[in-house]
Amino acid sequence: MGYDLHFGWTGAIGRVILGATRADGGTRKISYHIGGETTLPLLDKDPLSPTPLVALEICDNPEYWSPIIKNFCGDLVNTVDEWAKTAETVYGADLVRLYLTSTRQRNFSDIASVGKTLEAVLSATALPLIIEGSNEPRIDSEVFLKCGETAQGEKLLLGTAEAGRYRSIAAAALAYNHSLIAQSPIDVNLAKQLNILLREIGVQRDHIMIDPYTGTLGYGFEYSYSAMERIRFSALKGDTDLAMPMICSAIDSLTIKEVREAEPALQDEMAVRWEFYTGIAAAAAGAEIICVRHPKTVGMLKLAFAGIRSGADFTDVK
Amino acid sequence: MRTVTFLPSYRKIDVACGSTILDAAQRAGLNINVVCGGQGKCGKCVVYVQSGKTEFDRQKYSRFFLEDELTKGACLACETMVQGDLQVLVPESTLIQEQKILVAGRDTEIEFHPSVRKYYVELQPPTLTDPSPDLTRLLWGIQKSGGPVAEKIYVPLEVMREIPTLLRHSDWKVTGTIALVPGGYRLIDLQENDTSKRIYGAAVDLGSTTVVVYLWDLVSGKVVAVASNYNKQISCGEDILARVNFARKNGLTKLQALAAESINAALTSASNTAGIDREDIYEVVVAGNTVMTHMLLGIDPAYIIAEPYVPVVQRALSVAAGRIGITINQNSGLFVFPAVSDFIGGDIIADILSCSMSEREEISLLIDIGTNFEIVLGNKEWMFSCAGAAGPALEGGEVLFGMRANPGAIEKITVDPVTLDPAYSTINNIRPRGITGSGLIDLLAELFSACVIDRTGRINTSIENKRVRTGPHFPEFVVAWASETDIGKDIVITENDIKNLIMSKASIHAACVTLMKQAGVTRHEIATVYVAGAFGNYLDKKNATIIGLIPEIDADRIKNIGNGAVTGANLALINRRERKTLDDIASRIAYIELNAEPSFMDEYTSSTFLPHTDFSLFPMVQKLIETCRLRKG
Repeated sequence: MGYDLHFGWTGAIGRVILGATRADGGTRKISYHIGGETTLPLLDKDPLSPTPLVALEICDNPEYWSPIIKNFCGDLVNTVDEWAKTAETVYGADLVRLYLTSTRQRNFSDIASVGKTLEAVLSATALPLIIEGSNEPRIDSEVFLKCGETAQGEKLLLGTAEAGRYRSIAAAALAYNHSLIAQSPIDVNLAKQLNILLREIGVQRDHIMIDPYTGTLGYGFEYSYSAMERIRFSALKGDTDLAMPMICSAIDSLTIKEVREAEPALQDEMAVRWEFYTGIAAAAAGAEIICVRHPKTVGMLKLAFAGIRSGADFTDVK
Repeated sequence: MRTVTFLPSYRKIDVACGSTILDAAQRAGLNINVVCGGQGKCGKCVVYVQSGKTEFDRQKYSRFFLEDELTKGACLACETMVQGDLQVLVPESTLIQEQKILVAGRDTEIEFHPSVRKYYVELQPPTLTDPSPDLTRLLWGIQKSGGPVAEKIYVPLEVMREIPTLLRHSDWKVTGTIALVPGGYRLIDLQENDTSKRIYGAAVDLGSTTVVVYLWDLVSGKVVAVASNYNKQISCGEDILARVNFARKNGLTKLQALAAESINAALTSASNTAGIDREDIYEVVVAGNTVMTHMLLGIDPAYIIAEPYVPVVQRALSVAAGRIGITINQNSGLFVFPAVSDFIGGDIIADILSCSMSEREEISLLIDIGTNFEIVLGNKEWMFSCAGAAGPALEGGEVLFGMRANPGAIEKITVDPVTLDPAYSTINNIRPRGITGSGLIDLLAELFSACVIDRTGRINTSIENKRVRTGPHFPEFVVAWASETDIGKDIVITENDIKNLIMSKASIHAACVTLMKQAGVTRHEIATVYVAGAFGNYLDKKNATIIGLIPEIDADRIKNIGNGAVTGANLALINRRERKTLDDIASRIAYIELNAEPSFMDEYTSSTFLPHTDFSLFPMVQKLIETCRLRKG
């Protein structure tokens, strides 16, 4: 192509390391160096425009997990370590995002069980992990300290810090050298503000991933896309407070009207499609990690990314 | 009929069964504080029913009361219906209180050219050899005493009728008052003997909340008295919108009368202070916001508040004071400042006049802060303006212990960065009752510098200090312990209060930036920032910059002009030539509708941070905060 695909940008996205191999003091089979781009994603054969990673979301208490996933995975959802293992070996995910949904109950206090769950998942899969807590600062401060300690050296990604509650997660990330997810409600300025808050309490830029908050395609994704685009443009133009890789999870995909009201026979397929299209769009907007819940979506996304990156000709498509 | 007795004053009033206690109180002449206009929304009109039958939905309004207050009969005056004879205790806190008002204006050397003058003349009586008519004789006399050319003086019929008797009765020694009105000169009054030393004029700032009057001696060119009081329209709704809605429901006549009464009351108290007769006031100059001006003139303001937001009148107006119920000398005139748009009114034109930014080459930024803010950027060649809602937080509203600048309000405050103990001063130096806008700005800046709050304004609850604690709903910081206050409660600032303050300051800062971008002006090019508004006089410039209320420029280039509206009105009163520029200023100002600016919301969000998301816009503050943090370790 005849024009500069780096558009004269001077900034670069910072790198965040997820997962530590034995050589780095962990037990993962791979360590991802996420970020580093100096231009937009999925550009043909540009080495500085890497392929996004796909994470499968699982949980340790499937009570409120989507019935679509429960139907597809069957009993697997009741044994979180098996689920994590299957994510790696069967579904082909790059990462596992573990939601500690067991902690999402009033006055949860069984912190020891959190440690055991995490240990089980760590030994079941060798993939780098993303951990989500209870969303309640008081509980999270203990949950994350426990996780941080249990997985010390594994370079986890802890989620999710928001402007209203970031101290407990930041404390655990700082104490045990993990990274964290900083989520803000679809706004470039609010994303920047949260990154500044985190930096000001000592979290390094290379330990932060931005979650711009992802609405499902057709359910507000255009706002997310626009916010992501602005975040990325600002970063490439040199705004270091926004120069972090992004993570997207369009969890609404499984509950939107089109899926809910689909014919039972098509429901599963419909869920996968919405998750897939949202994921592709999020990747185009610059997300480095795409999180999905339906195992089939993992494979489809990876296939799609590989196709885009190999420069596949559209004439090949039947 | 039911009789309602108000305690502690024992005022009694008879009202129909089913009337509200608020209605009864207003008829009894009690000034109840009704911020929401009596809609049960603000919870400020708390009274205690001590005996008698009423109807009040306690469940619905329980959020406004503590348990023990309800058992003592607390209820909202606006939502409680009178069913039987009542005894109602009205606590002092429910009444509108005297307010500390700004009277300082700008010291401007200005030529003295009032538009009304008195001329004392001693005339020769007519004879058979000199049979010229009375009027010619009088006007010639005035011309010879330095007045305008006789033929150019118009004499209204009312004055004409008095001439023959007055001249003869006074042995041909009279004082005539000539006013320069848009149509030319006019003889507005004729008095026996020499009263030429007794001529006064009044400059009025007609605000939505307060009315301020400066009374001038138009012979000596000196201020003889200053007075102020509440705008009596408050009883029809606290904010402008509530009042326009009141006007829509056939309430315009009442609002017009209340506006005039408010001015009259201030004129009376100023006259009493100066020891003069109100009949000797010959001119009133009024600067007010667009809606207030319309209401004073009895012009329907309903169309100003609906799209496309056009005022009825934009030019300066002169009317006979008596026609709108201003009781001064009967033929006197009243001059009203022009407006630019719905939100940029005569008060802002007066601000501009008082800081004379429209006459200078260099660029100025004028910010008038109240519940609404107005901003003007420009110089002698161009001016942009915008306006918006700042919310009541900077005036103490929507803040748990926020209050107006009344006695007992904390107006200045510092916080020790190590012990976190505050040092404060209150209005009238009495025990604190609450915190006023300037105190809140100080507090925000101090808590930020001391790292008690982060840059979004959230309180760091991990700080171990007894002043940092978690309140019933939000984390809070204790400013004054119950034992040191006048209200028997700890005075605190909550995280929610801080959020409201940050939203207010963000909208003002975002509006400044939006105007600056429109004009292509950076903060370095702004020679002076003028801060106006009741609040401006007490505003700590440094703290206002630390929290990012105004763009960062050197503190010595920030000027408080206080009540610019009254200063402008003063200038127009004592120098009639200043009035000629007003319509020109008004017509030169371009109004930017912030709602139509896509970038405004972005600017707003980036301003909802202390001092701003982009620290590079506030380099001095950045240095200061970094130093503070280093010191704290």
